[in-house]
Amino acid sequence: MTRVGIDALTYYLPAYAPTLSELEALGALRGPASTLAGFGFERARVAESESHVDMAMHAVRALLSETDTSPDEINLVLYAGALTSSSTMECSPAPAGSVLRLRDFMDFFKYPVSQLQSELDLSNASVAGIDQQGCAAIFSSVRLARATLLAEPDVHTVLCVSADRLPHGASREVVYNLVSDGACAMLMRREPKRNRIVATHQVTKGAFWDSGSLENEIIAAYFPTARTVIEDTLRKAGVTLDDIRWVIPHNVSLRSWEILLGLIGCPREKLFSANIGRVGHTIAADNFINLRDAADAGLLHPGDLLLLFTFGYGLNWSCMVLEH
Amino acid sequence: MTSRPASERRTILVTGGTGTLGAELVSRLARGSHASVVVLTRGTARPRPAVPPNVQMLTGDVRCGPTFGLDSSDAATLREHITDIVHCVADTTFNRPLAEARATNVAGTQAVLAFAKECQHLERMACFSTVYVAGRTTGCFAEQDVGGADGFVNSYEQSKAEMEAVVRDAMRELPIAIYRLSTIIGDSRTGEVTGLNAIHHALRLLYQGLAPMVPGQETGLVDLIPVDFAAKASHYLFEHEFSPGATCHLCAGAAGSATLGALLDATMTAFERYRPAWRKRSIARPAIVELETYELFVRSVEEAGNQVLLQATRAVQAFACQLAYPKVFDNRHAGVVLARAGIAAPNVLEYYDRVVRWCVEKNWGTAS
Repeated sequence: MTRVGIDALTYYLPAYAPTLSELEALGALRGPASTLAGFGFERARVAESESHVDMAMHAVRALLSETDTSPDEINLVLYAGALTSSSTMECSPAPAGSVLRLRDFMDFFKYPVSQLQSELDLSNASVAGIDQQGCAAIFSSVRLARATLLAEPDVHTVLCVSADRLPHGASREVVYNLVSDGACAMLMRREPKRNRIVATHQVTKGAFWDSGSLENEIIAAYFPTARTVIEDTLRKAGVTLDDIRWVIPHNVSLRSWEILLGLIGCPREKLFSANIGRVGHTIAADNFINLRDAADAGLLHPGDLLLLFTFGYGLNWSCMVLEH
Repeated sequence: MTSRPASERRTILVTGGTGTLGAELVSRLARGSHASVVVLTRGTARPRPAVPPNVQMLTGDVRCGPTFGLDSSDAATLREHITDIVHCVADTTFNRPLAEARATNVAGTQAVLAFAKECQHLERMACFSTVYVAGRTTGCFAEQDVGGADGFVNSYEQSKAEMEAVVRDAMRELPIAIYRLSTIIGDSRTGEVTGLNAIHHALRLLYQGLAPMVPGQETGLVDLIPVDFAAKASHYLFEHEFSPGATCHLCAGAAGSATLGALLDATMTAFERYRPAWRKRSIARPAIVELETYELFVRSVEEAGNQVLLQATRAVQAFACQLAYPKVFDNRHAGVVLARAGIAAPNVLEYYDRVVRWCVEKNWGTAS
């Protein structure tokens, strides 16, 4: 059977990394910094001059360079964004009071993925945007990339990219999580050298679409459904938690991960949690930033089974098992 | 104490006679005997259907001491006539501050016992307690066992265990039996709930999608009983098989209980059946977790200061932690006696659906 996986990946994080105290002083937190500190956060990454498209291009350039990949090799680009604003271009300067940073309706037709294809000369690639799934969007792009590689023989390399940045002045705290800006990029191929996809699984509960007014219900829904999704993914993969070497998380609070690990009966030691404090929750790129850093830290070995789980507004719970 | 003349009628004092169990019991006592029934009530309970002619309502409060706050001559007259006492009064709020729980459950009982000692014709007295005096004990908890060795989950359990100690001490002088009740969830025939307790509040939170997890084990047994069984069984034991010094478990036992997992499944099924639109809300069945994980969640909610979830978790916490200490209540003594009369607790899954249906359709008692 054909194997598909993430052959290479990299990411981009803005250099500016204010601490919780600094963010609190800037009025960028909803509650006290001490609460977020207690939940495992230390600092956020905040884009200053970079747009989300700039961050995506940084990540893709680095990826192509690191892997010595010609832009011509890319057959398909799947561009994921958690925020609605990530599917549009940002106007500069931003119109007053604008969150989406649009001037007129024609701006709705200016697509980041097209600009990225053009700027990076990915002329052999067709493109698609993946959005409306919150932080689970990048998981969907990986899933769709895998399906395309299995279904279409003339597609050999798929570039999955994800980039999000909060609007200027937005609170950096969302449901007791510290939100960062960032981007990640991946090359997906058949017969990959590493990170073979063993199984993917996603559950959507559209009943919670109105995220702003259902915060408490969402917090309550998160845990039991997360457990079910993880267990179903493991079942699909034909493995158990005992077989999993590392849990590669999305960078929501360490506390929520400790609770979720308790729910699924997973030892705390299996969680790669180093980035939660120092990076924060980069919306749609966390798991792959962490995957890269865990690999760079020498923690991953060929054959290791990895569990990646994320959660996005919408609501969407997504999970995958990789074989490193 | 002296026996009453054979020609005189029995007079039964019932404390807490307007509560969930007390009202059922008063009805049975009034119907089933030729006794006069005096119901001591604080007068704050909701209106009840008209009482039978042999039932007298008396306003008083066990927390006021051995005269219950009655005029001294009224109290003396009452003492003169009382032949039986059924002590149902209890503060069943699980998360009450201990001192407040003790005020009703311990000091209130001491007042009733002091009153009883002055009743010249007292023949029998029943004190209602809870099987959950077992506290954090796990495994089998028998009728002769005294709970609390491993501590308690909430102030209700502790205060009732302290009450039992007081009652057992008084057993040297008074003919008292202790009836330990399991958690009453409603009427097995109609599903009606006359008094909402922590279980019903938890059901409402689950319905609202605010109960993400409960501590316990999937296969742990949850002991619940219907009010009609509690009333029928305690009435029979008191009237026909009274045994001074005995402690009787009025519970479902292993045979009548369901697992926590099965109850959660039945709850979700009933919500969907009786409120089809509820299914669209995609509310997940709460996860059953270890106590440590549950307490970490509660602590996180407290640290976050989320008031809605804080209230929800506190409402569940007071009783839910008991689920983390799996136990079976052995009702060998009471079970055998009741079986001879054909009385047994139904399995909770035989009527649980009706109770949930009542909660949903009556919006937990707020709908007409």
